[in-house]
Amino acid sequence: MTSPTQDQHKPSIRPADESRTLSSGEREFFMDVATSDLEVNMGPQHPATHGVMRVLLRTDGELVTGAQPHLGYLHRCAEKIGENVEWLQYLPYTDRYDYLSAMNNNLSYSLAVEALMPELEIPRRGTMIRMICAELNRIASHLVAFGTYGLDIGAFTPFFYAFREREWIQALFEKICGARLTYSYIRIGGVFNDTPPGWLQEVADFCDVFEEKWQEYYDLLIENHIFVQRTANVGVISEEMAYDFGLTGPMLRGSGVDFDLRRDMPYMEYGQAHDDGAYGVPLGTGEKGTVGDCWDRTQVRMVEMKECLGIVRWCLEQIEPGPVIGDVPKVIKVPPGEAYVGIENPRGELGHYLHSDGGKVATRCRVRAPSFVNLAVLEDLMPGTLLADSVAIIGSTDIVIGETDR
Amino acid sequence: MDFQAIADHLSVANAPGLLSVELPRSPDKETKDKGRSGLPYLCVDPSRIVEFLTFCRDDEALGFEVLVDLTASDPSSDDENLWVLIQLLSVRHRQRLAIKCLLPKAAPSMPSSTKVYRAAQWHERECMEMYGVTFEDHPDPRNMLLPDDWVGYPMRKDYEFPKEYHGISCE
Repeated sequence: MTSPTQDQHKPSIRPADESRTLSSGEREFFMDVATSDLEVNMGPQHPATHGVMRVLLRTDGELVTGAQPHLGYLHRCAEKIGENVEWLQYLPYTDRYDYLSAMNNNLSYSLAVEALMPELEIPRRGTMIRMICAELNRIASHLVAFGTYGLDIGAFTPFFYAFREREWIQALFEKICGARLTYSYIRIGGVFNDTPPGWLQEVADFCDVFEEKWQEYYDLLIENHIFVQRTANVGVISEEMAYDFGLTGPMLRGSGVDFDLRRDMPYMEYGQAHDDGAYGVPLGTGEKGTVGDCWDRTQVRMVEMKECLGIVRWCLEQIEPGPVIGDVPKVIKVPPGEAYVGIENPRGELGHYLHSDGGKVATRCRVRAPSFVNLAVLEDLMPGTLLADSVAIIGSTDIVIGETDR
Repeated sequence: MDFQAIADHLSVANAPGLLSVELPRSPDKETKDKGRSGLPYLCVDPSRIVEFLTFCRDDEALGFEVLVDLTASDPSSDDENLWVLIQLLSVRHRQRLAIKCLLPKAAPSMPSSTKVYRAAQWHERECMEMYGVTFEDHPDPRNMLLPDDWVGYPMRKDYEFPKEYHGISCE
């Protein structure tokens, strides 16, 4: 049986001549029960939604005819809080939008504040530690994405392997900042403290071990026949659709668009790292099905993990002793102005629009969350697919509800 | 293109609705100007935003095919205007553009950008519930994050926190 594509609004069992429409008698004969529209609430508590989100599905038998995501169950007013606490006090709140990639969230916020403070200099060692942490965190985040996606589809084993490796990264982060999930380690002006003795060597060891494991996981899940059958040709996002919905990150690259903010609009030293050949940008090629299907998106995330190792190794070569944080006062006052800074998070572009009137508190603190934007595509992607594929499609968008709701 | 080149291109092409170009400036002690740090942006007439965005998307040299972000801001409770802020991105030319529209707080209303970029749909729903901005011809103007019966616009500077919600005291 071939997997249904977007334009096939058909029941699964039909007579040989498919062009004919069914008479009512035939309809009852070929489809064992007559079906009509049924509304099903998927969530708010559903394992495949990875948090508290509700998707209102309209189904006709096994066929999904409409999907409407309902958000807001985890809304914690992050943007309003941003207007009421001091610049540095807001940093721990950034940990909590996408709790799987808290380092990257800290980084995005810090870079946005620094864009308003042109006189603040960030020491090179600070930048290098930032890059190492951001990339390790990206690996940890993609490990969860790949493990839980396997779980959604019915492959139990990869999840445990993924979490074993993630545990190692969390232990490394615990050594550097004391926290395992919500780090607040990357600060405005640099990073909170220097690495403990021997930490950089432990990171290098991790890279060597992980590279071998990575190939195992790739063969175990991504090349697995059942996995390919469940994901190839399912939930195809075309290039135009990706642009129209403003998708970013692996969702955009899965559709074959060659764009990565780290390489194309470089911040910190990612531009230099790319020029030195430290990393490449994997793209969806339609190897197993159509360009932009669920398999492509998962494969892009998987290959990206390996590319992250290249960046970490490049930083380990470049890093030199020195200070890790610039000259930042205890109470930060940001000059008046406004700036939007977006960086490449594991899930796409995490942007902060900050507006300061010169005081200790932001006037506006906008969070452009990648999961929120990437989720919008569901409304168009789901109609015409089978109910079982809806889980595969939601999983492939790799959303974190803490971020969609903020 | 850098920002200045984009702004020049837009003014030479006589882009619909372009009002002014705002650049960062350093503080000046003599005129007591506090200056403005951060990044440059364009001011655009909100009533012509659809034409302006269509121009930015379809022009070959600009090529802004992605609307990254659309949000509103309430600069202060004394200010008469709300801001609507749009961030555009061109994937093929690797460039960004920031746009600002001013809307009077008395009747904040502007056309919906959903026809140009589908990405605007959810962002506009969020602006509607949080700031009370009306986007005309929006295809699905329901609340995005808040409950359907929420009273007031929580992100406005003059918003008063409710004392109770469905009989539950919030104090």
